[in-house]
Amino acid sequence: MNIRKQFKEGLITNNPVLVQLIGMCATMAITTSLFNGVGMGLSVTVILTCCNVVISAIRKIIPDEIRLAIFVVVIAGFVTIVDLLLQAFIPALSEALGVFIPLIVVNCIIIGRAEAFCQKNTVGASFIDGIAQGLGYTMVLIVMCVIREFFGSGRFGGGLIELSGGFRFTLDGTGTGIQIFDPDYGAGILNRPFGGFLTLGVLIAVMQYFTAKAKKKAELKAAEAKEAEDE
Amino acid sequence: MAHTFKGGVHPNYMKAPEVPVSVIAPPPQVVIPLAQHIGAPCIPIVEVGAYVTMGQKIGDNPAPVSAPVHASVSGRVVAIEPRPYPMGGTSMSVVIENDGLDTKCDALEPLTEEQLKDPDAILERIRECGIVGMGGAMFPTAFKIRGGIGKVDRLIINGAECEPYLNGDHLTMKLFPEELLKGIELVRIASGVDKAYYGIEVNKQDAISVLKAHYPEKYGVEIVSEKVKYPQGGEKMQVKAVTGREVKPGGLPSGVGCNVVSTRTCYAVYQACYEGRPVIDRIVTVAGSAMKQTVNALTRVGTPFAYLAEQCGGFAKTPRKIVLGGPMMGICATDINAPTVKGTSGVLFFTEKEDRNVKEPTCIHCGKCISVCPMRLEPMFMYMYYKKGDLDMLKKFHVTDCFECGSCAYNCPGRLPLTHAFKTAKVMLQEQVVREKEAAAK
Amino acid sequence: MNEKNERLILDVAYQPQVRTELDTKRIMLTVIVALLPALVVSVIRYGAYPLAVAAVSTASAVFFEWAYRALMKKSRTVDDLSAAVTGLLLAMVMPAGIPLWVPVIGDLFAIVVVKQLYGGIGKNFLNPALAGRAFLLASYAMLMGVWTTPKTLAGAVDTVTMATPLSYLYGGKALPEYFSRLNLFLGNRPGCIGELSTLAILIGAAILLVFKIIDWRIPVSTVGTVAVLTLIFGKDGYGNFDWMVYNLLTGGLLFGAVFMATDYATSPVTRKGRVLYGFGIGALTVLIRYFGGYPEGISYAILIMNLCSWAIDKAFHRRQFGVTAEDIKAEKAAREGKK
Repeated sequence: MNIRKQFKEGLITNNPVLVQLIGMCATMAITTSLFNGVGMGLSVTVILTCCNVVISAIRKIIPDEIRLAIFVVVIAGFVTIVDLLLQAFIPALSEALGVFIPLIVVNCIIIGRAEAFCQKNTVGASFIDGIAQGLGYTMVLIVMCVIREFFGSGRFGGGLIELSGGFRFTLDGTGTGIQIFDPDYGAGILNRPFGGFLTLGVLIAVMQYFTAKAKKKAELKAAEAKEAEDE
Repeated sequence: MAHTFKGGVHPNYMKAPEVPVSVIAPPPQVVIPLAQHIGAPCIPIVEVGAYVTMGQKIGDNPAPVSAPVHASVSGRVVAIEPRPYPMGGTSMSVVIENDGLDTKCDALEPLTEEQLKDPDAILERIRECGIVGMGGAMFPTAFKIRGGIGKVDRLIINGAECEPYLNGDHLTMKLFPEELLKGIELVRIASGVDKAYYGIEVNKQDAISVLKAHYPEKYGVEIVSEKVKYPQGGEKMQVKAVTGREVKPGGLPSGVGCNVVSTRTCYAVYQACYEGRPVIDRIVTVAGSAMKQTVNALTRVGTPFAYLAEQCGGFAKTPRKIVLGGPMMGICATDINAPTVKGTSGVLFFTEKEDRNVKEPTCIHCGKCISVCPMRLEPMFMYMYYKKGDLDMLKKFHVTDCFECGSCAYNCPGRLPLTHAFKTAKVMLQEQVVREKEAAAK
Repeated sequence: MNEKNERLILDVAYQPQVRTELDTKRIMLTVIVALLPALVVSVIRYGAYPLAVAAVSTASAVFFEWAYRALMKKSRTVDDLSAAVTGLLLAMVMPAGIPLWVPVIGDLFAIVVVKQLYGGIGKNFLNPALAGRAFLLASYAMLMGVWTTPKTLAGAVDTVTMATPLSYLYGGKALPEYFSRLNLFLGNRPGCIGELSTLAILIGAAILLVFKIIDWRIPVSTVGTVAVLTLIFGKDGYGNFDWMVYNLLTGGLLFGAVFMATDYATSPVTRKGRVLYGFGIGALTVLIRYFGGYPEGISYAILIMNLCSWAIDKAFHRRQFGVTAEDIKAEKAAREGKK
């Protein structure tokens, strides 16, 4: 399998959120601070990778009729593991994400990848796919978090970065982030679900704009190359 | 209360009925197209080199939907060849070198007393004199009246003249009220009805009083005052305003028992029956921002536009457009040397001042087109589907009902080419029908 | 002459060959003129500050429109004045004491997100100015809820800010003496810049109606619905008729009905549809005023009905010319008979 191509797909051309438009529920809800976004994204990446590996390993023995049930059982197992681990080691994140961690069970990205990819591909390819898609998801979450946090409350890296007493990362979610301007001036609506829709919509539009442009350019190039050949 | 219909617009009328009719000297050479009507074109019955008199028949076709054409001057036929046609392209035309004598043709005698009461004789004379719908439709009048006999219980004479600029009908009413009423009576007798309704917009109040002073009831004519609104003179709008009936979609006024005949046509019928004079001239309004002045010109059929403009005082600016008929429904001529025809009620020389087109028409969704459409269509949505090329939806929105009055496009603040779009859409739909038929045949 | 004629290049343009003078720019200009009386009243009540708000808001709306179109390499559209109208309308629904940067953010949202991202004039599905206001209201609720006391209001408590008459009406408190009907009619009360004076808005409405910019059906059915509903469902402590009058004179009802609900792009286009649309706005306004968390509901009512206007357009087609109601019935019966 072509690893580079898989990463390109996961991050850009077949990005789960921006192109496939799946896994939206959590995307809208939790992208209010960088801490949440990174935590959620990495959790999903871990679960997705593990599930992909397991499902592709047993893909030949799963009866077609009950495959969804089996997927859910596998996913639920890993979600429970991650949920308990988070509760034990990063309780602040577990608290912030709340119900959205258990809800990963029904997250479309994982079932979708299982259905669309792991059923047909080898363990190795599925492993890479899990990481690529997971990172694509994490990337979008981080971008959205940064945008919403900045415009909504004038802050960067809430929960993850602490400035007082020297710059350091706070993995327990206690950091106050870098305050860039007074939160009174921030558009508070961006911290609410509406802000999630708005940011995501704008992101998708920007993404489409650039991919369309790139496509046009490529077509133009191809046409030019063809013309040159004809001559 | 004035009679009217729902919708419509109030364009800037630019009328000049106070300008007296000036007789335009016949041009040194007239060009008479052999197709001055809807239907089969005429076959020339004179030869190159022959001498023709004014009013002599020079082309005819025995087909039912047709009307003969006549020489409008006396002189020698110098050519029978394709010449520029006012509505674009070229058409087979008879070119007559004017000898300036206007020797009258005496082939047609005035009708006798008995003949004036005989529908068949009148219809025969109407056909023989080449009378067509002179409001601009140019549909052979004899065929139209004959088709309505028995079906029609209301005869409506169209005196609205709702198009801006045009004054021909108004002046005819004022100058020849008695002749006009006699002409209406003849059309009424030919149609076999007891009463004719003469719908006139109230901005021609002076004409209405002149007509009323001539006892219209004596001729079986009732004058109906109508609200000033465009397109009051549309056939369907006239029927609606006078009778309250609505012509069925895709149908003709005769479908609801009405026939609509224009003012100038009735006057032509009078001339044909009482004087034996075929259609060889008419009042043409020459106006527009490119002209130095507005002229109501009594013009021979076959006068080239360039000559007409010169005779009417010449250009103030270089014209960008030559519009035939009124500015709302009139179409553009492609050649300044094309001649006037029987249906030419006006020749307007426009600069870019009038149409106010913009580079990038944008719909602002104001709904003004919808509120003015006299056919209760929804031009805004129709235009949207036209842009998408969705013919099925266009059919669903009844684009075929549109009679291209131009009210929507006139009123559009975003300057969308609405009427043009629907015209194109109708052609596209017709092509689709043809294609489907071909596919079915295979 | 002849030679010259042969060289003449003629346009073969589509019909009609003449067009009305009323184009988009003139419509927008008329709306701006119609807004001026309300602005003048505001200046009388608050001094010059509302003028600054209006100027900043209008300028920034025009700038954002220009900047977006230039950035995206699209044609210049600021000349049609629609952006200026959006900016001015947004200023009119700001409280009189709003800091000047707030409407700028509202304009950014209104012009770029609500209007231009959907394709510009005529293609937006929400009223840009109202969407901008909703955005600001949700983001800066504290700033948007501060009502400056008019300079001309005699008898009021001597404070810089005060409560609006609507919040008295719906807060269960008796309306103070100084909010007399005349004061309310002439706009001697706290409120948004544009909504103050019923009289000024009526003058603006008259201008819009005379020049046929708006259809009377929308404002009349909106205000009528509110009037009827408040007359029927009165409130204790007020007579039913008094209650109705206070409801009509206070808040932004009239301003919204005349200037906001009639926005072309976001209102239905058929006559019946417009009546229904106005009814919906009126009913929702009353619902929000009676049961909602905000004392004023007209802006949300309009935004909600904006979303319905396409559906209303689809539902109310005009009867085809030449087809009577009986024809339609007969056709329906024939269709059902076939089944």
